[in-house]
Amino acid sequence: MAFLVKCPNCGERNVYEFRFGGEIVRRPEPGDDSAVWMKYFYARRNAAGQQREWWYHSLGCRRWFVAERDTTTNAIGSTWWPGEVQV
Amino acid sequence: MPIPSEQGRLPAAAHHLVDRDRPVVFEFNGRQFQAYEGDTIASALYAAGVRIFSRSFKYHRSRGLLCVAGACPNCLMSVDGVPNVRACTTRVEAGMRVRHQNAWPSQERDFLSVLDRFGRLMPVGFYYKTFHTPKLFWKAARPIIRRVAGLGRVGQDPEPGPHHHEFRHTDVAVVGGGPAGMAAALAASAGARVVLVDDPPTLGGSLRYDSRTSAGLPGMGEVLALDSARKLASEVEANDRIEVLSEATAFGLYEGRLLAITQGDSMIRLRAGRVVIATGSHETPLVFDRNDIPGVMLSTGLQRLINLYGVKPGTTAMVATTGDQGYYAALDLLGAGMRVAVLADSRPAFPDRLDAARDLRNLGVLVLPSHTLVRAEGVKKVVGGVVSRLQDGRTTTEERQFDADIIAMSGGFEPAASLLQQAGASLAYDESSGETRPSELPEGVFAAGGAAGAHSLEEAILQGRLAGARAASGTGGARAASGLRRGLQIARAEYTAAPAQSRPPFRGLRGSKQIVCFCEDVTSKDIATAVDEGFRDIQILKRYSTVTMGPCQGKMCHRNFVDIAAVHTGSSAGDLGSTTARPPVQPVSLGTLAGPAHIPVKRTPLDRRHRALGAEMMDSNLWQRPRLYGSVQDEAMAVRNAVGIIDVSTLGKLDVRGRDAPALLDRLYTHSFSTLRNGRVRYGVLCADNGTIMDDGTVTRLAEDRYFVTTSTAGVEAIEEWFKWWMAGSDACAYVTNVTSGYAVINVAGPRARETLAKLTDVDLSPKAFRYMRAREGSVAGVPTLMLRIGFVGETGWELHFPAEYGEHVWDALMEAGKELGIRTFGTETQRVLRLEKMHIIPNQDTDMVSNPLDAGMRWVVRMDKDDFIGRGGLAAAMDRPARNRLVGFVMEDGAVPHDGDAVVSDMAPVGRVTSSRLSPTMGKGFGFCWVPADLAEHGTTIHIRTDGVVSPAEVRTEPFYDPEGKRLRE
Repeated sequence: MAFLVKCPNCGERNVYEFRFGGEIVRRPEPGDDSAVWMKYFYARRNAAGQQREWWYHSLGCRRWFVAERDTTTNAIGSTWWPGEVQV
Repeated sequence: MPIPSEQGRLPAAAHHLVDRDRPVVFEFNGRQFQAYEGDTIASALYAAGVRIFSRSFKYHRSRGLLCVAGACPNCLMSVDGVPNVRACTTRVEAGMRVRHQNAWPSQERDFLSVLDRFGRLMPVGFYYKTFHTPKLFWKAARPIIRRVAGLGRVGQDPEPGPHHHEFRHTDVAVVGGGPAGMAAALAASAGARVVLVDDPPTLGGSLRYDSRTSAGLPGMGEVLALDSARKLASEVEANDRIEVLSEATAFGLYEGRLLAITQGDSMIRLRAGRVVIATGSHETPLVFDRNDIPGVMLSTGLQRLINLYGVKPGTTAMVATTGDQGYYAALDLLGAGMRVAVLADSRPAFPDRLDAARDLRNLGVLVLPSHTLVRAEGVKKVVGGVVSRLQDGRTTTEERQFDADIIAMSGGFEPAASLLQQAGASLAYDESSGETRPSELPEGVFAAGGAAGAHSLEEAILQGRLAGARAASGTGGARAASGLRRGLQIARAEYTAAPAQSRPPFRGLRGSKQIVCFCEDVTSKDIATAVDEGFRDIQILKRYSTVTMGPCQGKMCHRNFVDIAAVHTGSSAGDLGSTTARPPVQPVSLGTLAGPAHIPVKRTPLDRRHRALGAEMMDSNLWQRPRLYGSVQDEAMAVRNAVGIIDVSTLGKLDVRGRDAPALLDRLYTHSFSTLRNGRVRYGVLCADNGTIMDDGTVTRLAEDRYFVTTSTAGVEAIEEWFKWWMAGSDACAYVTNVTSGYAVINVAGPRARETLAKLTDVDLSPKAFRYMRAREGSVAGVPTLMLRIGFVGETGWELHFPAEYGEHVWDALMEAGKELGIRTFGTETQRVLRLEKMHIIPNQDTDMVSNPLDAGMRWVVRMDKDDFIGRGGLAAAMDRPARNRLVGFVMEDGAVPHDGDAVVSDMAPVGRVTSSRLSPTMGKGFGFCWVPADLAEHGTTIHIRTDGVVSPAEVRTEPFYDPEGKRLRE
């Protein structure tokens, strides 16, 4: 693991400066069925290919952002602030 | 007298790496040997007459030099206690102590070579087949197998260091200092900073031992390749935009074009904008009977011995080749004063176009086209060999025997493309030529020279220039590139008209002494057997047979492995593909990877005081904290009966403020904090969304829009992230700031804490004025302080938060004020015991990844009546099902004191576990927390705990052991 991550604030940096926050999953509404909640807790798509995910620049600006990563090559495409993109 | 190496030498020449005027003495197996400066261990030993350099991994067969390039496993030795050092690339140093390995008593006479006769007992995959039944047999056999197999012996002492790690950046990195690499570096230097990484001590790559006259260098005319290497090298060295890393091995190419490089004791992580891989090629051995006995060498290995080290390999040679390379090597052997008995060329016709071939014939060397070597003769060294005539690509019974002490073999060249593969390139196989070439190079990665499948020096240099120009990018690279591309097309067309090599023929293909994998003693018969047993996929065949999995990582065996597997599976080598290349390309020591031992330590503002008091320090996360100053008993009694102080500066502290801070905390905690009144403190638990406990701490409301939050010592970073994550993307007005290091924190606790603190502050501390779970801001010893009246240890007490700079001042003032009241410092160990008596949990000590607050006995912190909060969904689900396990207290009925982690047992079967256990200073018995099945969780139930193999009874408690009503806290 040595790829570069483009922080929207600090630019391209070594992945070791970041914390991975996992693929983006939508949180159910309080009234949703318990099966929907269980899926949200424990099931992930685990896509082979492009995936939108959370990243936190812990050794930099300490902000969360959204990145699109190819999980087969670790190539990071676009990155956004959370407000700029549907999460 | 050291054993000399002079008798095995050729007359000194300028291009030799050894300096014959500078002798160096080193030790091998306890005897002194004389070498010259510039010698490798192997070149010096060979010149001194040593022929057996190691014993093989499995059968303990004699092995001599093979590649002389640091690629094969044949010369691994122990040097100054470090095992598995490649003797053929490690330069001799005065006083070096070298030993053979994997043989007893010596590599010349190894008793374990008897194993070679029992090969039948160790077929391919024998680990999975034999010694399994009866079970006891495996138990007996395993230690013996482990002892006789393997390479070297790892010392028990730490690896000699020091090891350094460097982090570097460059525009362009070029790996390989041969003709293509140097050409690439020079071309790229026009527009970029270049780092050139090269394995050997001198630049030049294969040109350094190439004695041909060459017109391959455009603009240089007819020159010796040896001289052109030096000319190019001096250009590179004179270029101040190129930095050369010599004797440096790039062993991995990772994402983001990060090269991992070892150089001496250092590891360098080089991040490059673009990378040019010019790592050359590996010569492939031929597969014939006894192709591994000392004296059988790769033709380039012999050229290296002769041209780099001035060593005469032997007296009479046989040469077996599949291409032009054998002819060049034969000329070098003649030049070294040897006789060449025969040259067997597997191609059908004599290569008339080749100067070297005509020269050889004119010199009277017997050249046999359409012939190949089928057998080497000898046991510990070559005494001769047999060649066979080929017909339709198969050997015939028309055989001829020759006497020789050296067999030079050349099975063609395979690109050294491991780094390219690691970067994501694939290897394309060309059926007609039997060659592999890298294709689909990832962005920013280029290949040139032998690694890219170049056949000639001219092609390699043109490829290097093209790759260098493209890597430098945007600086006329495109214009330069079109001219170079035309040149390359011409070079390739010339080659295609007269190919320099053909695919090696494979004869019997089932020989038990035809070594394919020199590292792990895998024979052609083993591969055939594995295919017969149903292993047909190249990756699975590899794992089962272990071929390509030794120290050489396939450099010697990959090509032959794929070709032989193709024949037996009835498929083509192209369809079989190739095995996956992973780092490291070359072995790298663990010490180098680990690097220097930098262990960061955080010290609290009171650290000097603790050390002055002689505290026993312990690591707590990155912090160092006092564990104890004296005994738990004395410290605990001081807190229970008088007053104690403890440094809790390591507590995580978050400042949370803003209009929406109350809503944020309500959403994150299971409890409610918008309802908390100013100046009050409340305990809170943070859950993950599935309801499991993450962390706990206190929340103090300082103002309508301002809270002061504490977390566990270890948890603060994660909790800060957690808070910010749930705010990410919302327009909520709330700000979280980690202020952990800004404050020193001292907890003053005990029945005389009030008296002590009252001497230092004007704040009214009386029970009515400053009640339990309240906060005040005031002055303590003249320092502005946030005072929280809380009681982790179960006594009247205050947690004092004040600016870190005043840590020692306030500590000293408290010690002075409490002197006459019997004040004592107490450490984390005492704190742990005291809180355990109060049944206060420590998250992640008493809870784990699946614990929720309900099962942990903290139903009271969960407010299901408020709106949605993080964890609600999981806790709601947990409430709908009966609890499986519960966290309860226990007290031992006898004198046992369990350890953390001991098992709670029922009918001898473990059903739960102890999370915290100590000897209680007040009860005088072992007690603590444990998880038990819900049906054993009733107060008063008898359970059993196994400690050090003894099962003892204990009683379940669900109320605090000490002051269950909490009176002392509130006094």
